Amino acid sequence: MNAHGARRLPALLGAAVALAALAGAAPAAADGPPFTLDNCGFAIAVAGPPERVVAIKSTALEMLLALGLEDRIVGRAFEDGPVPEEWREAAARIPVLSDRLPAPEVVLEAEPDFVYGGWESNFVADGAGERAALARLGIVTYVAPAACKTAPYRPVHLTFDDVFAGIAELGRIFAVEDRAAALVAGQRAMLATLPEPAERRTALWYSSGTRQPYVGAGAGAPQMMMDVLGLDNIFADIDDTWASVSWEAVAAADPDVIILVDAAWNPAEQKRALLAADPLLSRLGAVANRRYLTIPFAAAEPGIRSVPAALDLAAQLATLAFDP
Amino acid sequence: MSAIRDRRPVAAAGLVPARLVTTLLALALLAASVLTAATIGPADIAPADVWRTIARHLGMPVETGLSPIRDSIVWESRLPRIVTAAIVGAGLALCGAVVQAVTRNPLADPFLLGLSSGAAFGAVSMVMLGSALLLTPGAFAGALAALALTLAFAQAIGGLTPSKAILSGIAVSTLAAALTSLVIFWTATGDSYREILSWLMGSLAGAGWREAGIALAALAVVAPPVIAAARALDAFAFGDVAAATLGVDVARSRWLLLGGTALLTGVLVSVSGAIGFVGLVVPHAARLACGSRHRVMLPLAALGGAIFMIWTDTAARSLFAPRELPVGIVTAMIGAPAFLAILWRFRRAT
Repeated sequence: MNAHGARRLPALLGAAVALAALAGAAPAAADGPPFTLDNCGFAIAVAGPPERVVAIKSTALEMLLALGLEDRIVGRAFEDGPVPEEWREAAARIPVLSDRLPAPEVVLEAEPDFVYGGWESNFVADGAGERAALARLGIVTYVAPAACKTAPYRPVHLTFDDVFAGIAELGRIFAVEDRAAALVAGQRAMLATLPEPAERRTALWYSSGTRQPYVGAGAGAPQMMMDVLGLDNIFADIDDTWASVSWEAVAAADPDVIILVDAAWNPAEQKRALLAADPLLSRLGAVANRRYLTIPFAAAEPGIRSVPAALDLAAQLATLAFDP
Repeated sequence: MSAIRDRRPVAAAGLVPARLVTTLLALALLAASVLTAATIGPADIAPADVWRTIARHLGMPVETGLSPIRDSIVWESRLPRIVTAAIVGAGLALCGAVVQAVTRNPLADPFLLGLSSGAAFGAVSMVMLGSALLLTPGAFAGALAALALTLAFAQAIGGLTPSKAILSGIAVSTLAAALTSLVIFWTATGDSYREILSWLMGSLAGAGWREAGIALAALAVVAPPVIAAARALDAFAFGDVAAATLGVDVARSRWLLLGGTALLTGVLVSVSGAIGFVGLVVPHAARLACGSRHRVMLPLAALGGAIFMIWTDTAARSLFAPRELPVGIVTAMIGAPAFLAILWRFRRAT
C-alpha cells in the first residue's frame, strides 16, 4: 500500500506543479496546505501551516530561522554548534529541549504539530520517536529531502538546486512561499558571486575519525561544495554522502588540499595535530605545506549555510599557496 | 607426577620431528603471509617495490625509486599494521588456549570470561576521560577487574566449577558491555560515536609501530611463562583433583595463568579493540592439527592465530577498498559457524 502511494505521489506533485505553472504567479493560498508529501519515502499529510515546531539539529533549526519562522518553533534540540550571529537573538528565545537527541517524551512534552529532524536517523524509537508513531498522534515529521538516506529518495548527486528545492518545499509547508522564494533568490545571487575556479586541485574532505578517516564521498554535500570550488574529490567514486576509508587510500591520492570539519567535540586543530604527528600523513603535500580549509560542522551538512560556507571556503582557498 | 615424567621421553621421541616440521611449516607460512599481505592495499605499489622497501628499511643496500609517500605507505602503514595483527592474533589464540584448558571448557575464550568486555570498558573510559596515555593500563585494569569479579562471583555461588565460571563470566561481560554503552551514550557528541563503535567491534585500522610495540611487549612477557606451564595446562584436563595428584599447585597455577591471560587480553584489546572468536577458533584448529599436548599446541596456536589475524585483517581492509570493515566483523563471520561446529562436536560434553 505504501509503495503504491509512493508511486502515485510524484504524479500528484507533478500535477500540482503543472497547475501552479499554469496559474502563473500562483497565489500562496492555492499552493499551501493542505497537501500530502512523500518525504524520504514516508507519506506525510500537511493539514495546515505548522504552528508548533520542534527542530532537531542545527540544519533544521537554522533553516526555519532563515525563513523567519522563530515564532512557530517551540523547542530546539541536538544542535551541532552555535547559531550564526544573524539568528542568535531569535534563537535565544526558543527553549532548548535537549543537548542530545531528545527522547520521544521530551519531544511530546513540547506539544508539537511538526517535528523537523536534520537526519532521518533522528526518528527512531530511542530517539525523537518513530515517524509512524508520531503520525498516529497527529504530528507531522519532516526530514530535509537532501538528507534522505535511502534510494530512490537520496539525491543521486546532491546539487545546490536540491538544497533550494528543499527551501521552496518548506515555504509551501509553512505557507511562506514568498519568503522562501526571496531566500532562494538571495542564495542564488550569492552563489553567482563565486569566482570561477582558477585551476583544478584535488581535495580530501576530512570529517572525523582518527584510526580511520570519515570523509566526504561522491554524492552528498561535500561533493556539492567541492564541485563549485573547482576541487576534485579524491573519493568522488564512492557512491555515498560520507564514507569511512583508509589512510592508505588518502596517502596514495596525496590531495592538494584538505578540508577539515570543525566541531566542538572534534576540532579542526586536533585534526591538524593528528595529521602533522603521523609518520605517513605528515608526508602528504597538503599537510607538509599546511594547505587546509576549515568548515564548521553545522555548515558541512546540506542546508541554509551551504552557500555562505562555499563562499567562505573559496575565500580560504584563494589564500593558499601552491607550488608550481 | 612420575607417570607423566615416565611417559614424556617416549612421546617426545615420536613427536619431535613431526612437531618440528609443523612448526617450521607454520613459520614459513607466517613469513609468506606477512610478505604477501604487505603487497595488498588501495595504493598501487608493485610487489617487488614493496619487498625492496621492506629490505631497505631493514638495512639492506637496496634502492626502490618509490616516492617518500609510497615508501611510507609500506613502512609506516601496511607493515606495522600487519605486524600488529600477527601479534594480536598470536596473543588472542594463546589466551583462548589457556582459558579453555584452565576452565576445562571447549567454548571458553577471553570474551566468555568477561575479560574482553572489561578491557574494552577500561579503555573506553580512559578515552572518554581524555587520557590516551592511560588507555593500555585502563584496559588491563578493566580485564583484571572483570576476571576478579567473575571468579569471586563463581566462588560465591558455590565454587569455581567450569560452568559456574562461564555463567559468572557472562554476567560480568554483560555488565561491562552495559557500562561501556553507558559511557559512550553519555559522552559521545555529534558523530564521535562512530569512532568508538568501530573501536568496540575490533579494528586494526591505524595501527602503527607504537601499537605493534605495545602488543609485542605484552606477548613477550606473557607467552614464555604460559608455554613453560604447558605441563600444568595438560594436567588441568584431568580435573583439579587429578591435576593436584600430578603435582600441579592447582589454585596457584590457575590464578597465575588467568592473571597472565588478563594482562595479555587487556593490552591487546587496548591496541585492537575487542576482536572476538580468534581465541575460540584457533586453538581448536591447532588441536586438530597436532593434538592437545600444550607444549606442541601452544606455539602452533600462536603461529596459527598470527596467520589467521593477518588474513582476516587484510580482507577487512581490502575487500571493499577504499572503505574498511572493522576486522571483528570478518572474524565473527568465520568464528560464528566455527563456534556452532565446536558446539556440535562437544554436544555431549556441553
